[in-house]
Amino acid sequence: MSRGGAVVSPPRTRLITSAGALAAFALVDVIVVTAGGRLVVLEYALSGLALGGLAAGLALRRAGPVPWAVLLAAAGYVLGRHDRSAVDGRAVVVGVLLLAAAELAYWSIGEHPRIRSERPVVARRLALLGALLACAFVVDVLLLAVSSLAVPRGAVLAAAGTAAAVAAVALVLRLGRKGV
Amino acid sequence: MTLESTATPKLVGYTAISAVGLIASLVLARPELVALTAPFLLALAAGLALARPPQLSVRVGVEGDRLLEGEETSAHVVVAAESPSDRLDVYFRLPPGLELVDGTNPVAIRLRPGERRDLELAVRARRFGGYVLGPVYLRAGDGLGFVHWEAATAGRPQLRVYPSEAVLRRVLEARDTEVFAGNTVARVKGEGIEFADLRRWSPGDPAKRINWRASARRNELHVNESHPERNSDVILFIDSFAEARLGPEGTLELAIRATATLADAYIRRRDRIGLIGFGGILRWLVPGSGVVQLYRLVDALLDTQIVLSYYWKDIDVIPPRTLPPNAHVIALSPLLDPRSVGALLDLRARGFDLTVVDVSPVPFARRPTREPDTIAYDIWLLRRDALRHRLQRAGVGVTEWRSGESLQMCLEEVRSFRRRVHA
Repeated sequence: MSRGGAVVSPPRTRLITSAGALAAFALVDVIVVTAGGRLVVLEYALSGLALGGLAAGLALRRAGPVPWAVLLAAAGYVLGRHDRSAVDGRAVVVGVLLLAAAELAYWSIGEHPRIRSERPVVARRLALLGALLACAFVVDVLLLAVSSLAVPRGAVLAAAGTAAAVAAVALVLRLGRKGV
Repeated sequence: MTLESTATPKLVGYTAISAVGLIASLVLARPELVALTAPFLLALAAGLALARPPQLSVRVGVEGDRLLEGEETSAHVVVAAESPSDRLDVYFRLPPGLELVDGTNPVAIRLRPGERRDLELAVRARRFGGYVLGPVYLRAGDGLGFVHWEAATAGRPQLRVYPSEAVLRRVLEARDTEVFAGNTVARVKGEGIEFADLRRWSPGDPAKRINWRASARRNELHVNESHPERNSDVILFIDSFAEARLGPEGTLELAIRATATLADAYIRRRDRIGLIGFGGILRWLVPGSGVVQLYRLVDALLDTQIVLSYYWKDIDVIPPRTLPPNAHVIALSPLLDPRSVGALLDLRARGFDLTVVDVSPVPFARRPTREPDTIAYDIWLLRRDALRHRLQRAGVGVTEWRSGESLQMCLEEVRSFRRRVHA
């Protein structure tokens, strides 16, 4: 029998996860800003807009701005790399930080103010998040390592990439129409 | 239990990020973009791979189905899982008259395969009434929050909360009594304890009734006559045509509390009690005695509510068995609806022993501050006074009872009026 003794208060969870998401996003912005480039003003604007959008989404408990914020931050980073041909190793960190920010932001927004979570629920989610970020880091490192090798880019590789992109768009459209 | 699945905004958001990232990396041919998109694709793949609809069974119960106002009981929500659930939100909906005293509701729990959890909630009854608890809403989520499964339980326990009763030291005695033994001294003469009169002995009178002292003084045999102790029929007439309400309290609630108090007091005196709920919906209970009748009456009271109706009703709609000829009718009414006032005057005209407890709506109607409104308010008060006088002129004992006042005091006021009228 349980009266739900060991619980974590929702405001505390929301505060911590929101702060974590904003911190991760701020780190991405720092990386973008310190990278320099010719379109610094535009990079600053995109980074600021992304951070503001995420903060607004967190404050209003709206999930809509989160993907936009991630895309804007990613655009700011890519803009800084537009005139450089060498592969940037910091993309691994930026990718993992963006995922961490999005995960924490969705956690914060999904936390209902009235629903108190028991400690094992929070611990399980933290463990899954840690594992996911570690896996994402490894995958990104491998991806960048493979891409830095001199591999001829043939029509087959381009077709596979296009198919993956089309499949992703189709999935977005399907999810937009109805649930899973 | 059938669960309905829903995609969360996170699933849509991650898919959108992945799609845009992949297209952009193809168009711009930059490996960094793939590195930015890959974590989101990985999260999507992992989330959808881990997402399995949970196999759950839920049982809801309450310890005991009857309570008194202010008492506490325990509600149990037992959740059993055959498959794991990383996050299960459980919300047991409580109706407004009940409040949670101890326990966490709603709560998010984690269940392992084969685990069974009993969530105990201590619930206090704030207000009397009949309540249907629940349903229990469940929302299960996968570990990463991409998909939700939702369901609500079909089984809903019921709880009846009885009003707390005040103690009455004395109640109004009926003018006429019935034939069964009770606590009221009858006006007629018969077998009893209470001395009534002396009369000459006549053949057949038992020797134990001879008053020897009076017989010796008068040189002929005289016997004592006595009043028997009989029960009486009391009909509690509750007016549910209209009520005055301010916040959580209203005249109907007060009338129900007073009716329960009176019913309890009369049942203790072995009187027969009946009920007439006169309003948009007509309810009645044929007179009876005993604790079972008390429970029946209070159960009927819990279902009494104001139902708006424009249909003109008079006492002819009341079944004759509900109104025995010698019954003492005690009406609890805010005297707001002319139909109930008309019915009360009609009852009196037909010779019923009638008492009206005017459950005053005045405390529930704030006095206005502006000039023309105050005049209307004062006229309304005067018309209420005039109505009470009209009832008194018809021989009806009327008392105004306000929230917070003692019902006993009001009954004593009626008692003195009845004594004057009968004298």
